[in-house]
Amino acid sequence: MDTFSRRKFLQLTGMSAAGAAATQLSLASIAEAAQTRPMPTGTPILVVVTLYGGNDGLNTLVPYKDPIYSASRPGISLTAKDVIPLGVDDLALNATMVGFKTLWDRGQLAIIRGVGYPTPDYSHFSSMAFWQTASPHTFLNSGWIGRWLDTQPADPFKAIGLGSILPPLLAGVKNSGSVLPLGGLVVPKGLMGQEFKALGKSSSSDSPLQAAAAASFGDLMSLSKKIEPVLSKPAPVPDDLPSAIGGNFGSDTSLSQQLDIVAKLIAAGAPTKVWAVSLGGFDTHADEVKAQSALIGTVSTAITKFLSQVHATDRANDVTVMVHSEFGRRVKANGTSGTDHGTSGPVFVLGQGVNGGQFFGDEPSLSKLVNGDLAVTTDFRNIYGSMIEDVLGAPTGKVIPNWNTKIDGLMLKA
Amino acid sequence: MASNPDRLVISRLINRFGFGPKPGQYASLLAMGVSAAQSLLLTPPTTDIGLTKVVEPDFPDRGAFPPSGTPERVAFETNQRSDRINLELWWLDRMVLADHGLRERITWFWHGHWATSLGKLAYARPMKIQNETLRKNALGNFKEMAQAMVIDPALMYWLDAGANIKTAPNENLARELMELFTLGVGHYSEDDVKSVARGLTGYTVDRTAGTFTFEPKRHDATTFIILGNTGSWDASSIINTLVARPDNQKFITDRLWFRLMSTSLPTPSDIASTFVNREILPAVQKIATYVTSTDPLLSQVRSPVEWFVAACRALKITPSTAQNRAQIINYLDKLGQYPFNPPNVGGWPYDEAWLNIASTQYRIGFAAFLVAQGDTSPINGLKGLTMENALTDWLGIPEFSTRTKAVIRGSGLTTAQIVSLALCSPEYVVNG
Repeated sequence: MDTFSRRKFLQLTGMSAAGAAATQLSLASIAEAAQTRPMPTGTPILVVVTLYGGNDGLNTLVPYKDPIYSASRPGISLTAKDVIPLGVDDLALNATMVGFKTLWDRGQLAIIRGVGYPTPDYSHFSSMAFWQTASPHTFLNSGWIGRWLDTQPADPFKAIGLGSILPPLLAGVKNSGSVLPLGGLVVPKGLMGQEFKALGKSSSSDSPLQAAAAASFGDLMSLSKKIEPVLSKPAPVPDDLPSAIGGNFGSDTSLSQQLDIVAKLIAAGAPTKVWAVSLGGFDTHADEVKAQSALIGTVSTAITKFLSQVHATDRANDVTVMVHSEFGRRVKANGTSGTDHGTSGPVFVLGQGVNGGQFFGDEPSLSKLVNGDLAVTTDFRNIYGSMIEDVLGAPTGKVIPNWNTKIDGLMLKA
Repeated sequence: MASNPDRLVISRLINRFGFGPKPGQYASLLAMGVSAAQSLLLTPPTTDIGLTKVVEPDFPDRGAFPPSGTPERVAFETNQRSDRINLELWWLDRMVLADHGLRERITWFWHGHWATSLGKLAYARPMKIQNETLRKNALGNFKEMAQAMVIDPALMYWLDAGANIKTAPNENLARELMELFTLGVGHYSEDDVKSVARGLTGYTVDRTAGTFTFEPKRHDATTFIILGNTGSWDASSIINTLVARPDNQKFITDRLWFRLMSTSLPTPSDIASTFVNREILPAVQKIATYVTSTDPLLSQVRSPVEWFVAACRALKITPSTAQNRAQIINYLDKLGQYPFNPPNVGGWPYDEAWLNIASTQYRIGFAAFLVAQGDTSPINGLKGLTMENALTDWLGIPEFSTRTKAVIRGSGLTTAQIVSLALCSPEYVVNG
């Protein structure tokens, strides 16, 4: 990717936020919509969890018995006491991933190994753009979920990102997803409320950005009244957590907060088929073991709690969660007890509709590295193919350019 | 369209090459005309009376963190917190109090360019040292800036360069040095990343003191190739090679154009040539000549810090001595931007990213907070058209739209409410 297309990608981030501004108005009726046109149970829901920074796959799904693994990573390789063996192929989960192990045992977690794309790019920005646009090495100014939205009747509820900035994966050409900031919305009442609402009118002298600034007032003032009742409802109570991990779930993490809101809105019947949440901090160039273990443990814990919350509703069969990062990390440790940017890594797909408790894709061999990095054994677009066809029910070829394949058998009903 | 086209041009100059007007400044620039205003605003003065009012904080070397759970640790954390907020408010003070805004404004640009976060550093001292390096070189020569930055202890610590050793190089600094700081992605190979990492081995960082040392034993002094050049390398020769590349000339001028003028219009072709000797000021001055364009895509959203600083300049608020000053950082944090805390090494987002329901709600609250303690005398007691004209002149707004005029003419509004509405208006949040 040259500077021009990199800049274009940065623009994409801005463009998607503009798209969000246009759709937030309709998000205003989310509470109303949940009551007047609740999504029928049985409608599939996809939750995309993006891990920013490049999660270290080898310390997540750990080849702990492989002597090359321990020899390559003095000081930062995990040993038998630091992992939970999965009983297959001598692979184990990081010991912090107790919740994921439970889901694996229940057949609700599938792990796809060696996921990446041809000719890896080591830039966070380029690689994440490739994943979010589903277009490695060829610039596209739309995200993969955004292009799925383009195949659907326009409906701003259909895909929602948690946070204040729309992730590029939700930006389509015609339709874009919406954003939902964490926390409630507090706006002035009375005279000033009316005045701020009036600032939301467009004016013929506005530049495009000034028009967007004006629109944000209209969105804010109309949205705040309607969304508050939904957000102030309690989240569904997890109902099937094993007692060993049912206690303190560390719900203060931001990922847990985001998923709590998603669980509430799913329980309320929000007509939303795709949710996007994220967690950052995975760029562990230094002092990796403690930080990465804590982060991946947070991911496991927050998602396990979320699936249990969903289990307590009548939509337990509907929800599929996919977890990915922009790349894995180098096999060999660097000089600062960390790892540099690498290539492939595992992707997690979770839910009651997942044909779980097994691996898909080959584990990249530590003895057959490519330029010191793990080989890519699975193209991420195949996983997207499964999500598009088997979860969202759309033809992959309409969403991902020149791509028609998926991972056979990943989803149960497919 | 503003009835007088100079109003838009001078509003752009004062906001993009400074942080907005102090009371009365916009009117006096309008009176002198575009050419004189441009020359004044784009020529850094030798002294700045406004900056003499800034109180310099002292950040001693506080040493290592005491063990957790000890009383010493609690006291230490308290000092760290107060150092951090003093550092953040100190720079905001400079932005607000400087009479001539150019150097602070371009230093702010460079902070987003060499984006380093206090979040990881944890110590104010090295961040302040870096900030002084950026300020000193902000309008000078980019090669000298890059030479200073590659051995800047805060940047080195941020990108893990401090323990990059020849037996196990760490590529973090090497990659970002080329991708984000000097060349742009795609203008080097993966082999170059590995080689530059090797060439940068041997430095160690003392982050509490804000110093570094070079240990030849840990440095890879063998001969290898970087961007087609064979040699034995160190930080200085690597910077010389990177900055000499034609890609550097284009990359840096593109970044300046993107942040100062337009994120959607391509960089005009005659700007890069002003940077042929890597002198920053001539490139900035050339970019500033494009303020006369009438293209609406030149319009730019003020980032949260830019909006806040402009409001403080107008309202005569000094951030470090403001009432409830900790609340300032809280508001800026909620809006998504405060100094020394970029979200990642790529710097801050821009334009539409600052326009959403979340930021709009916080901006409304923040405006009321500021106006309540600010000086609104430029419009106190004025009414009707006289008040409207005084308001736009005071805040440096070219002209209110019919929408905003209708809003501020609303009956029963206090002066404070009118100023809050003006600060939140699309014409103020977005520089035309």
